[in-house]
Amino acid sequence: MRMNHFLAIICLLLFCILPGIALAYSTPESIVASGNVYVSRIVYDPGAFFTGDAGTVTIYVTNGNSNQSVVVNHATIGDKNIRLISNPYDTSANIGPLQTQTFIFSVATDAFEGVYYPTFSLSFRDADSLYYRAMVKVDNTPLQLTVLDKPDAFTQGAKKTIYLQVANPRKNNVSSVDLDVTGDGISALPEQVFIGDLTGGGTVPVNITITPEKATTVLLTLNYDNGDNPHNVTMEIPVAFGVDKKQANPVMSNVQVKTDTGIYDVTGDVNNAGLETANTVMVTALSPAVPQDPYKTYVVGALKPDDFGSFEVTFTAGPGNTTIPIQLSYKDADGNIYNTVQDVKLTSSGVSTTTENSDSSNLLPVAAAIVLVLIFVGGWLYYLKRNKK
Amino acid sequence: MSPLIIDILIRPDAFFSTRETEKESLKIPALIILTGGIVAAIYGYLMGGLSAKMMEGVMPGMGAVITLSAMAGALIMTFIFWLIVAGIFYLVSSLFKGLGSFNRVLEVVGYGYLPQIAGSLITLVTAIVYIPKIAVPTLTTAALQDPAMIEQVTKAFLHDPAMMELTQITTLVSIVFLLWSAHIWIFGIMHARGLSPRDAAICVGVPIVLYVLYMTYKLGVM
Repeated sequence: MRMNHFLAIICLLLFCILPGIALAYSTPESIVASGNVYVSRIVYDPGAFFTGDAGTVTIYVTNGNSNQSVVVNHATIGDKNIRLISNPYDTSANIGPLQTQTFIFSVATDAFEGVYYPTFSLSFRDADSLYYRAMVKVDNTPLQLTVLDKPDAFTQGAKKTIYLQVANPRKNNVSSVDLDVTGDGISALPEQVFIGDLTGGGTVPVNITITPEKATTVLLTLNYDNGDNPHNVTMEIPVAFGVDKKQANPVMSNVQVKTDTGIYDVTGDVNNAGLETANTVMVTALSPAVPQDPYKTYVVGALKPDDFGSFEVTFTAGPGNTTIPIQLSYKDADGNIYNTVQDVKLTSSGVSTTTENSDSSNLLPVAAAIVLVLIFVGGWLYYLKRNKK
Repeated sequence: MSPLIIDILIRPDAFFSTRETEKESLKIPALIILTGGIVAAIYGYLMGGLSAKMMEGVMPGMGAVITLSAMAGALIMTFIFWLIVAGIFYLVSSLFKGLGSFNRVLEVVGYGYLPQIAGSLITLVTAIVYIPKIAVPTLTTAALQDPAMIEQVTKAFLHDPAMMELTQITTLVSIVFLLWSAHIWIFGIMHARGLSPRDAAICVGVPIVLYVLYMTYKLGVM
């Protein structure tokens, strides 16, 4: 009897429990309801990974049912290429009608370049699981640092500009882009250029000026973040001294020398035979000449390629100087000063040559004077001799 | 011009033998010297203009002073020249025991200066022709502080082709007419100081020939 009572209680309890168990299992309604749950959006950060990058993926799950909630109790993502490095969701969550639930995972990849499809899985309490292939791209294309223009050659102590372009050939944006300029024996301005965010496919021009003290190499380092992953690109630009093929080349011509009151007056033309503009072209005489007013220094001004201007300088030169160095200076676009020196021969209008000419030109009058004296003396001697007789 | 004056130029012996009998008078000789001085002053005016032009840069407005100084200098120097020449002739003739007075020598030198008036006129005309062709350098203040530069500027001025030609012509003309004067002075001194033709020729000829040789030397080294 007592045994029967015990079995009856057990049976009663099981009878009471069984309907409850029957509620946790799928029903036609819950299956239909879970069918209206879908992944509405997936966001990877960064948008495209480098091999070795880590990032996050945010998955938005929307309950499309208008009057029925669904309960989810497990969510995870990943495969062998896109590894999940955070914990999966293991707790139940209720997604109300027409509500969206976000699931954020940390992932990392060591995969080669390519497109990968890690699987997002979401388990329903009252139905089967939801599986979704969340596409992600692994792209190892780095940012590009391009030299748009640079001098053919550098000059010691002369500032030259290098024109650069930073380009982002990737599909995704990168952030914290900055360019560092370093090098032994150079002075760069600026030494660091902060660019910030750079959109996919975007470009930014960057100009830097270099003042080298010796032949060296300029190292350009472009740092940027892909998501939270730092990357960099480097470029080396050799700094070799020499003659810039395009630089301005002022040349003196039609030089004429005149002298007046011991002051030499040199006039001429300056032609710019180079391919760049010569700014602030100035002409002056160097030692042993001593520049004198009114044209101690003549400022010709700016000369464009193939342009020309006239100049005039006045100076004194000590006796015995047959040539005088005339200095021609100009500035390039960066303000560097260049000097060229051309020797100018002091012409025969000088005093010394005139003196030489005087020797021969005075011979005739001197001879005439002597003849006159001889005639006078001879005449009188003859007169005296004749009168004596 | 009286025949007497012409005699000075072409027959000085006859002229001075006539003058010897008359009382010495410096009126006409002084007039001759004054005339020569005036011509020299005009020449000095022209040449002073060149100097004024050269100094224009350092002493603006001083042109008139320089020109007037040159004129006065030329006039005064003519009279000084008269006295110096007479003094030299007097002293040298004293060595030959000359007898006449200094005033008589002055008179002789004054008359003998007559050909040089013609010479000065020729010089004046030559200067009028040549002076416009002369490129006159202008001294600057900076140049004035450098003696070497002043010398260089002066050289440049003197060696201007037109200036050189003018100097050569005027020197030769001066020599010709000075020798003509010397010819007259020999006869004048001979009569004025009672010297033999030989002694008179030495008294006048030696200083004049030395002076002419000096002029010739200056012409050569110009």
